[in-house]
Amino acid sequence: MHLHVEVIDWPISPGPTVPPSLAGPAGALAEFRGLVRNDEGGQPISALEYEAYSPMAEQTMRRIAREIGGRHGVLSARIVHRVGIVPVGEAAIHLVVAARHRGPAFVFLSEFMDRLKQDVPIWKIRALDRTGRPLAAPPVAPTPPP
Amino acid sequence: MRVLFFGHLKTLAGCSVHELPADELSSDELWALLLTRFPAFAPLHAHTRLACNSEFAPPGARFTSADEIALIPPVSGG
Repeated sequence: MHLHVEVIDWPISPGPTVPPSLAGPAGALAEFRGLVRNDEGGQPISALEYEAYSPMAEQTMRRIAREIGGRHGVLSARIVHRVGIVPVGEAAIHLVVAARHRGPAFVFLSEFMDRLKQDVPIWKIRALDRTGRPLAAPPVAPTPPP
Repeated sequence: MRVLFFGHLKTLAGCSVHELPADELSSDELWALLLTRFPAFAPLHAHTRLACNSEFAPPGARFTSADEIALIPPVSGG
């Protein structure tokens, strides 16, 4: 499985999709972008700020992707998570996955995002209002994962 | 022994790294020391995992001053 995982602090570019060597076997290319919404807890916002424990986040995302990808026969995956201030409408995370058929590609996207939200050390640390000031309350309450 | 804080814990601690005066600690001993220094961590203790050298630490793990320890509060990426 060809895998690219990265935590960056600049806008996510589309980047390469299917490695040339996999352009033949791949019959499906699925993509997910997690965008910053314009409200947080009912309050309008202009951006979210993310923080990561980057070495562990990248290592954990690689491990999860290999585990899920191996189970479903995924050919390649590109996973990029952005940290720092991410404005409304821009992507905080971008996944592109290639597989022989659409089923494994869709399953990979769904399972990976579920695992990311349980085990990958990345946090929304604050939401910024329309003037760019932090909202009084943190964007996500420090509650345990489901 | 260096301990890294992230997310809400970093805000509560007012710093991102803290040095504990110990060369070797169990996870229980580590938490006991941290809660003495940062009582505000107490409500998050049950929901915070320990990581050692970028891997989640198993229950009962022991740490040395050569390890990079991190407190991982509930995550919220994506």
